[in-house]
Amino acid sequence: MRSRRWLLGLLPLLALAVLLVAPVLRLGAEGWWGELATHTPTSLWTLWTDRYLRWRVLWSMLQAAATCVAALLLGLPVAWVLARWEFVGRTLVLRLLMLPFVVPTLVAALGVLALWGPHGVFSGWLGWDLQDTPWLLLYGNLFFNLCVVVRAGVDALGHVSAQRVAAARTLGATPWRAFWRVEWPAILPWFASSLCLVFLYCFAGFGLALVLGGQRYATVEVEIYTLVAHELQLAPASLLALWMLLLTGAVAWGYALIEKRLATPTRVQPMARQRPSRPAHWLGVGAALAVLAFFCAAPLVAIVWRAGHAGWDTWALVTDAETLVALWNTLHFSAMALLLATVLGVLHALAAQSSVAMRTAAFLPFVVSPITVAFGLLLLYPQWTASLPLLLCAYAVLAYPFVAKSLAAALDSVPEHLPQAARSLGATPWRVFWRVTLPMVAPALRRGMAFAAATALGEFAVTLFLSRPEWATLTTLIYQRLGRPGAANGDAALVLACVLMALALAAFALIEGPRHAETHHA
Amino acid sequence: MEPVANYYNSGFHRKTYMLQRRTFTLAATALAASVYLPAWAQDNTLRVLVHSSFALPKPLLAQFEAESGVKLSLIKAGDAGEMLNKLILTRAQPIADMVFGLDNALVAKAQVAKVLEPLQYTQGSATAQIGANVVPVDYGFVNLNFDKAAFAKSGLALPKTLEDLTQPAYRNLLVVSNPATSSPGYAFLLATIAGMGEEKAFDWWTRMRGNGVKVVKGWTEAYYTEFSRNGGTRPLVVSYASSPAAEVFYSKEKITTSPTGNLFLKGGVFRQVEGLALVAGGGQRDAAAKFIRFMRSGVVQEALQTTMWMYPIEAHTPMADVMQHATEPTTFDSLPAETIADKGTGWVVRWTQVVLK
Repeated sequence: MRSRRWLLGLLPLLALAVLLVAPVLRLGAEGWWGELATHTPTSLWTLWTDRYLRWRVLWSMLQAAATCVAALLLGLPVAWVLARWEFVGRTLVLRLLMLPFVVPTLVAALGVLALWGPHGVFSGWLGWDLQDTPWLLLYGNLFFNLCVVVRAGVDALGHVSAQRVAAARTLGATPWRAFWRVEWPAILPWFASSLCLVFLYCFAGFGLALVLGGQRYATVEVEIYTLVAHELQLAPASLLALWMLLLTGAVAWGYALIEKRLATPTRVQPMARQRPSRPAHWLGVGAALAVLAFFCAAPLVAIVWRAGHAGWDTWALVTDAETLVALWNTLHFSAMALLLATVLGVLHALAAQSSVAMRTAAFLPFVVSPITVAFGLLLLYPQWTASLPLLLCAYAVLAYPFVAKSLAAALDSVPEHLPQAARSLGATPWRVFWRVTLPMVAPALRRGMAFAAATALGEFAVTLFLSRPEWATLTTLIYQRLGRPGAANGDAALVLACVLMALALAAFALIEGPRHAETHHA
Repeated sequence: MEPVANYYNSGFHRKTYMLQRRTFTLAATALAASVYLPAWAQDNTLRVLVHSSFALPKPLLAQFEAESGVKLSLIKAGDAGEMLNKLILTRAQPIADMVFGLDNALVAKAQVAKVLEPLQYTQGSATAQIGANVVPVDYGFVNLNFDKAAFAKSGLALPKTLEDLTQPAYRNLLVVSNPATSSPGYAFLLATIAGMGEEKAFDWWTRMRGNGVKVVKGWTEAYYTEFSRNGGTRPLVVSYASSPAAEVFYSKEKITTSPTGNLFLKGGVFRQVEGLALVAGGGQRDAAAKFIRFMRSGVVQEALQTTMWMYPIEAHTPMADVMQHATEPTTFDSLPAETIADKGTGWVVRWTQVVLK
């Protein structure tokens, strides 16, 4: 069975080849040798010889690395508290954490500016105006990415063996020492995985840095976008994209290697969550919630608060025919994309069990420049570009790595003897997966699906591909509103963002189910 | 082994689990059933590529379909510049029969790339032209908008010339969108070159860089995050002559004067004329002719004023009341379309060098 497992990877690999690799190669070929071959670079090293571009790369790396460090320092303690203590509203906090993922970049920027901008709440009280400073950018990055680290951390801490920690404590280890010697090694792969994601997001990211910092903080992806979408200089663009792929690919490969090496297949008894009983415990819980409130919730609250002041006229929009259609489209498209993403993700994760290359490949949708994919698809399949199935497939391919990665990490910790026992009792491989493996990895699968759903519900690629007016989603409507002047438009965008968040919360509750939160309950 | 057994052997859990799986399978099947094949271009389907700002009232479009027997398939392709590039990229296998939204800054590039098909049409009473292959539909102006409240508060006089903006008094007051990524940004760059000449224009941009001009990616970023009316600090923004009218139209309470105003400075106004064209290699020419007539008809010319915030190309079209807040500039400078096609890309590169690098 194991030897033929790679066959499962054929479908995801095919999807990657058809929807990512082929379009990008086609676009590059057009740029270098096709009819549109202009501005062909004379040197392959332009990225490093051009001072401006070199600064863009270094800056991208710097801010991504800084975000990773900050996300780890803040995320680890917060995840620990959320994983170890039981308190009212804990499940809700975990779900709320993913909302930043859903909010369109521009709306998030409005929320952040409502706090830290020149007319913001904090600048009014404290006299701080962070607009145009790197701090605002770091804050924005944490707003979007802290959830990735915290969610992964909570999951990871649920896989720490209670017996081993108890043994360490019995042998006289202090709680600190028990953490460093027992818990930390066990959760390291999960953190490495999430930090890797955060790095890739910030490094190749497009949105928030540019909105909050202006052109000074543009990343290389912005450069590629300009070259492709506005100047049609495909050769230099594909060269930049290739360099970015090499840089981010190296990160992804390094990570896959670490993850594979750190994988320890053991089924453990998770540590029971406790109710905080001493003031120190409550202080810890309070501090963790305060961190989340400050970095993740505050901009969202600002959005909701501003939307709340929009007045009934604007809220009446929610029942508008246009909004209802967009709502239905959002649900429909996200569900379809999620379904496809889950299939692809599960197959990829199963196939990636024994292959570092497959693990690295799961990162491909995160590291390939989206604009080159979008234009490559156009060039390769012009007759399909305005068709819904292609759009949904593209969505699914861009979102499925969440499922694949989350599941792959969980599968690593499934001990081999359980499926083997089931097999020896006569179960078919399919039945073993369905009845033995799947129930064990279900929470991780659901977590991955929730993230995939969040990306699908959000703005992912919404502006990249050709679209039809009748396919308008909530995010499209928000961008349409923000494309016109007028206070009512700004308010409408915020109201629609609230609707989107409510929808996302409902979707997370549905995907994760009430049981997820209880699985490790004492 | 023990914990797993404990955990999953409870009958209750297994039951709910099975139930959930069944629901999931059902939902999956239902969803899969709802995947439909792409609507293949039918005999009477007219595929029109439009930019992201295209908007007309739905009933109007439905009425056109009903009366003409043409099925419209609108395809949004992003910003106008992006849309043209998509058209160029797919010229071997055109993705549309017609294109709406190419303007005088882009049309020459489209001609050079041979993506448009020549067409015959009667001029009507069009007030502006965009070259042989494009039927003009509407026009607008890219220029500076100012925040009335911010200027009243600071007591600063409104700038009279672009030169004023390079003075210390106007430091950090202007936000523009990047010509490399935004149509209005590009139009504004063209305006400065048309008004001042290439060398003087870039000299102005150099000094503006020194005087703290802020560059953002697109119009939305400029207007909603940097403009002082919406949470930024900058009371001057590159926008459209119709924006003050839109501010009135989309205000929360009824207002009689716009909170923003137009600044028509020499070298700071660019007229965009946009229109419809046939895509080379596309089909449906009869339907296309009907759609051209529709777009130039009185109802559309009236409606587009408050949906696309442009001015009607047909003279004698009644103006929407709210457009009284969108005064038209009396003078503006233009550049020949060929010059734009020839030098536009080079100018953007030079601009990036001067302002950003």
